[in-house]
Amino acid sequence: MEYAIRTENLSKTYGKTFKALDSVSLQVSRGEVVGYVGPNGAGKTTTIKILTGLIRPTSGRAHVNDRDVVSNPRDALRSMGALIEVPGVYDYLTPHEMLTYFGRVYGMRRDVIDQRIKETLELVRLPDWEHKKTGAFSTGMLRRLAIAKAVLHRPDILILDEPVLGLDPKGIMEVREMIRQFRSEGMTVFLSSHLLSEVAEVCDSVIFLDKGKVVTSDSVEGIGRRVGHAVVDARFLHPLSPEEIGKLKDIDLIKGVDMKNSTARLQYDGTPETSAQILRLLVSLNLDVVSYAAEGVGLEEYYVSVMSDEKGVN
Amino acid sequence: MAIDAVRMRNDLSESWLSLRFEMLKHLKRRRLFIVGALAIVVPLFFYVYFYQADPNAAVDFANMSLQFMNVLIVISAAMFAGDAVCGEFEKKTSLLIFPTPQRRSSIFVGKYAAAVMATFLVVSLYYVVLTLQIGQLFGWGEIPGALGKSFLTALIYSVAAVSVAFLISSLLKRSMSATIVSFLALLMILPIVQMLISVLDQEPWFIVTYSSGLITSVLGASSSLPMNPGGGTSGNEIQQFTPTLKTGIAVMVTWAIACLAAGMAIAVKKED
Repeated sequence: MEYAIRTENLSKTYGKTFKALDSVSLQVSRGEVVGYVGPNGAGKTTTIKILTGLIRPTSGRAHVNDRDVVSNPRDALRSMGALIEVPGVYDYLTPHEMLTYFGRVYGMRRDVIDQRIKETLELVRLPDWEHKKTGAFSTGMLRRLAIAKAVLHRPDILILDEPVLGLDPKGIMEVREMIRQFRSEGMTVFLSSHLLSEVAEVCDSVIFLDKGKVVTSDSVEGIGRRVGHAVVDARFLHPLSPEEIGKLKDIDLIKGVDMKNSTARLQYDGTPETSAQILRLLVSLNLDVVSYAAEGVGLEEYYVSVMSDEKGVN
Repeated sequence: MAIDAVRMRNDLSESWLSLRFEMLKHLKRRRLFIVGALAIVVPLFFYVYFYQADPNAAVDFANMSLQFMNVLIVISAAMFAGDAVCGEFEKKTSLLIFPTPQRRSSIFVGKYAAAVMATFLVVSLYYVVLTLQIGQLFGWGEIPGALGKSFLTALIYSVAAVSVAFLISSLLKRSMSATIVSFLALLMILPIVQMLISVLDQEPWFIVTYSSGLITSVLGASSSLPMNPGGGTSGNEIQQFTPTLKTGIAVMVTWAIACLAAGMAIAVKKED
């Protein structure tokens, strides 16, 4: 099977002894949104820097679209967009000038570049800033501009390294919404993050990395099943009465209920079928459900259980 | 063979893109305007100075004005090439430009070529202003023929100076340090080494800054400052050397190639 991203025994050693990556082998299928999770220093960014040709592995191989990123970086990187850490910008240039250069780098025609600049700036909600110098941009705007650069050439594969780092809640929501949109367009997204809630919300599967090694990988639902339960937050129009809470607890599919104001955190087995059934039951009980969203608590519990120490995870 | 040709065409195309982008950056940062303004204003200063001093030969005027050329080239090289490599890593713009389908060597070749081109523009501007001044002061027929040779020598020294700054930029981490070190290396450190060698009665022919003396010496005047300003024969006179054209050019070209090759090798392998 042809994978969008594939690594074989990828290792990176700094100095003589520090192994940032230790024989990491992973596969990401086409169209999949994969979370790459681990504490700070686990090797997430090192993996991404190798995949994007920024650094060379000490040993092993990394393939993007079946092209070796070390021996054939031009072809490997052509169909990929990347947002790595917090990239700098040329603060004396405008988004138009900067993106025009990158459009040319990807071999796009002038008219296509102009059109795509408008589309991507619209996508990242910066349409009015096309001809303004980036020196005046906020952190969130710069991050969105970097995302615009990453998707300018309509890549098949998008690599995002901590895309919401340093963003305010609104910025975080916007980036998540963008990732969902990329997924709906069939893009393969490789998302490095240590925000488990973010991964739970947007990813199909998760790869756990610790101390340079892959600890485990599974689908988000599979991890929910491994933990034994997942959590969904149901928010109601009004705080529930004790009688209504009792009805919730009587539902067999719900393993536990934790009420806070008008929101109930409901534990269940983690399968989407059960989640859908619970929602139907809530509606049939005439409870006014305002929102219903899966949370990443199952992921968090699993994370804590598999990682050697928990530092750096939120 | 066909693959090599395609690869070379890709490399050239990427370097050309990088060169154009770098020139845009030099323009937008106003560096090109600032150094360009120096290239216009400084000859005017010499014009005023000359007018008071009233020398009697066009070649003296040219020689006097070109004393600044060395400094101008160094300023240009330091400003345009000083942050060519380390600037991308320091400001993390490397995270934008490197994960793209272009070879890192092509990007750096473009950046180096842009620094050379910007320095050429500044040097050319200086010579244009100087030529116009000589024409106006002495008449167009009095423009020294050796001025063309001086111009070519200045261009060759520009390439060498940019290469030195490029190497320093690939070795250091901070743009400001690289710019200052480039400036000091070409205006102080190498000239001091050159002077120390001269004190030992040896010709410092292999020092690139010594070869840069050709810019004025081809006009028929020595670029070296007198080491005994009183002019007396104290017994401590230092031998004055003047670079020969062939050796000087060979040394500048060697420095240009060696520093560029070393800088490029380091830049391509440089990691965060």
